[in-house]
Amino acid sequence: MKKETITAIILGLIFGGIVAIFISLKSKDMELAKNKVIAPPKEKALSSNLTETEIQNLEISEPANNAIFEKNMVRFKGVAAKDSLMVIQSPIKDLVFKNTQGKFDLEFPLALGENSIKIVVYPKEKQFRAQEKYIKIYYIDSEL
Amino acid sequence: MKKILRNTFLVSYMVVLLVGQSVIAQTPPTASASATPTVVVDKDIQQLKDKIANKVSEIRKENNKAISGFVLKIDGNNMQLNNKEDVNQVKFDDTLTKVFKVLGTTKKEIKTSDISKDDYAIASGVVADNIITANVVLIDENFLADSGKITEINKDTYNIKVLTSDKNTYSLDIETSTKQYMIDIKTLSRDTIGFSKLKEGDMVHFVVKKTGKEKDNNYPAVKILIIPQEYFIK
Repeated sequence: MKKETITAIILGLIFGGIVAIFISLKSKDMELAKNKVIAPPKEKALSSNLTETEIQNLEISEPANNAIFEKNMVRFKGVAAKDSLMVIQSPIKDLVFKNTQGKFDLEFPLALGENSIKIVVYPKEKQFRAQEKYIKIYYIDSEL
Repeated sequence: MKKILRNTFLVSYMVVLLVGQSVIAQTPPTASASATPTVVVDKDIQQLKDKIANKVSEIRKENNKAISGFVLKIDGNNMQLNNKEDVNQVKFDDTLTKVFKVLGTTKKEIKTSDISKDDYAIASGVVADNIITANVVLIDENFLADSGKITEINKDTYNIKVLTSDKNTYSLDIETSTKQYMIDIKTLSRDTIGFSKLKEGDMVHFVVKKTGKEKDNNYPAVKILIIPQEYFIK
């Protein structure tokens, strides 16, 4: 075999090997990226170290004001002071309950059209004032 | 030299080709790879169609708004709705807009020509340039839910004065049709009561019907829910 041919084979093997290693590594990375497990976001911890002069504010994450719904039932989700008395009132429903957990998540019926809803929280500690929110949401039947 | 370069390129090409084939062979087959090319194309087209349909639906939902107010003016295919904050323009589309009158839990389809001034209307549709093109218009009643402390009780006129947290005073007429409830402070259940049970200092949650023509914040109450003051001093 000619010297030139041997040189060419050796050089070819080296260069080919480099490209092969590169391809192999790249394909491994792609596989890893495909199978990467995304951890669920950590739930926002509720502030549990509230002092005597602080109180959990009423926060309603759902439903949003002026939201439109196609079903006659909506979920109320949010947080309020622990052990407070909560009143959710609309023309068709009065809901009164003790919010023992702080977090709340409950179903509330909607009337066709506009729903004016008042939410009031009476904290257990009497030195704190009641907290209020007023929202307007719409139930527009999808069949309309 | 030329020969060396040519041969180097050839050998490299073969090595890459061999390694490439082995990498492909190691890769686990996916669903699309196992299917025939035509099926794959059809599936891709269907997926694309679904994606587009979902996106269109999302955009439509995002732009879909609802507004409400008393009819200030109605003229052909246009209507003006007046609420406390502002005046909104509503446009009717002959082929699209449906109008209903809400009758309690049921509804009756009516025509746009049946809408009159001072009706309370809820319009839902797409907003563009501050004009809502209505898909649906509902003619309904305007309810308000609020709460406050009873500051005065008139047993002769069956009227109560309520002071809200935002220093607004309501004058509520308790009529025979008014639903009156009180919370049991031990069980938190709701009991039906009469007017005589109301006391100054109690908290009241109420619902009234607004017509837009009220004077001195006086309303006939649709419903009241009392939280007795004893609940707050226990």
